[in-house]
Amino acid sequence: MAAPAMKTAMKPEKRENEAFHFPQGLAGFSDAKEFGFIYQGHGDIVCIQSIDHPEASFLLTPWDEKRLGPTPSLPQELCKCIHIEDQTKIMWMLVLNPFADKDWVTANLKAPIALNAEARLGLQSIRPDIDLADIRYHWMPQPQIKS
Amino acid sequence: MLVLRRKIGQVIQINDDIRIIIQDVQNEHIVRIGIEAPANIPVHRLEIYNLIQQENKSAGGAGALNWLKGASHDGSASDENSDET
Repeated sequence: MAAPAMKTAMKPEKRENEAFHFPQGLAGFSDAKEFGFIYQGHGDIVCIQSIDHPEASFLLTPWDEKRLGPTPSLPQELCKCIHIEDQTKIMWMLVLNPFADKDWVTANLKAPIALNAEARLGLQSIRPDIDLADIRYHWMPQPQIKS
Repeated sequence: MLVLRRKIGQVIQINDDIRIIIQDVQNEHIVRIGIEAPANIPVHRLEIYNLIQQENKSAGGAGALNWLKGASHDGSASDENSDET
């Protein structure tokens, strides 16, 4: 699964063709609806940053089917919200948390991000079938600081 | 807070486009309700939503981009944000 087009710019810019619109915002950041993508050259981790509320920024990485199994399914009413008719067109991303654990970067499997890359629409889907412990799934070790 | 008494099958209408339907009452403690709302209105159990909200606030914020910048340089993580939660 390819990551969406990434930019090397430090600040997201308001470009109609590049910003992603999140009609529902994200939980806790419901006012942040327009996000730019920022890529810093760190593997397949990308940062999304709210254009209107730059304090709202998140690290995302693509869903890994080899590790996690098939991608989630999105309820029909939420598919409409991001103009998806074919679920295979959804690009699933995980929100990473590098601050929750000193040894691990964790991934939120309970509430992944569903993107319609073509329409530049996204939402955070809260999955009812996933254990709450998987809010902080150990995704990758923290990068080591060179001494 | 507005408090209403409703029977099974009765409906509460909110605005033009949100309906809450009382489906069933089980053993006096559990109420099953149906909610009809537009797709752009998120509907969640409060306790689950609060957890996701807390996790987003822990994971998000200005520190996320700084962490990524730090992690991208020589494979090292910036420790300036490591205390953020």
